[in-house]
Amino acid sequence: MTKEETVKLISSEGFEFVIDKKAAMVSQLLRNMLSSPGSFTETADGVVNFPDISTTILEKICQYFYWSLQFSSGKETEFHIEPELTLELMMAANYLDT
Amino acid sequence: MAMYIRVKRSKTTYFIQCDPTEKTLEIKNKLHSLIDHPVHDQRLILVETGDVLEDSKTLADQKVENDAVVALTLRKDDNEFEDVNIVKPSDFYQSRDSDGGSNW
Repeated sequence: MTKEETVKLISSEGFEFVIDKKAAMVSQLLRNMLSSPGSFTETADGVVNFPDISTTILEKICQYFYWSLQFSSGKETEFHIEPELTLELMMAANYLDT
Repeated sequence: MAMYIRVKRSKTTYFIQCDPTEKTLEIKNKLHSLIDHPVHDQRLILVETGDVLEDSKTLADQKVENDAVVALTLRKDDNEFEDVNIVKPSDFYQSRDSDGGSNW
């Protein structure tokens, strides 16, 4: 794991989440950003700002990325979502194409 | 992927992929590649229990499980380690409210 293999996602409050590119690729939006050379400044820096996503939701999303990797490799656990987060999380998931 | 842990310091969270059989030192090595601080300047603390993780012990030994939150503290100039400092979004809202939103 090196810096080049990670991306930094920044929430609306300026909190930073450093995750593996492989995990970020669970999101179709991030996959497109990270795998299209030249078209996004995000590709070069490995930093993506989400001014519309709150810290709590962004962390949940990152946890989901990793859960999804675990699930696809055969480790079937439940993904717990607090009821009060559901709506915001769905909107973020829709945006991220996840 | 076996599991991941969330290593937190200040406003940053590092999602680190790891295995229950890995030793704390191996986690510090992974962190070293992400931050510029050598392993001996890092201290990891399991937030749930407040236990300082020992380099030579495995994660499983120290009850560090999938999705665990681990605090990272760094050695200061005076050779002591800093206190655990994890900013939560709710703290942030409060501090923003208390100064009347003057930073905007």
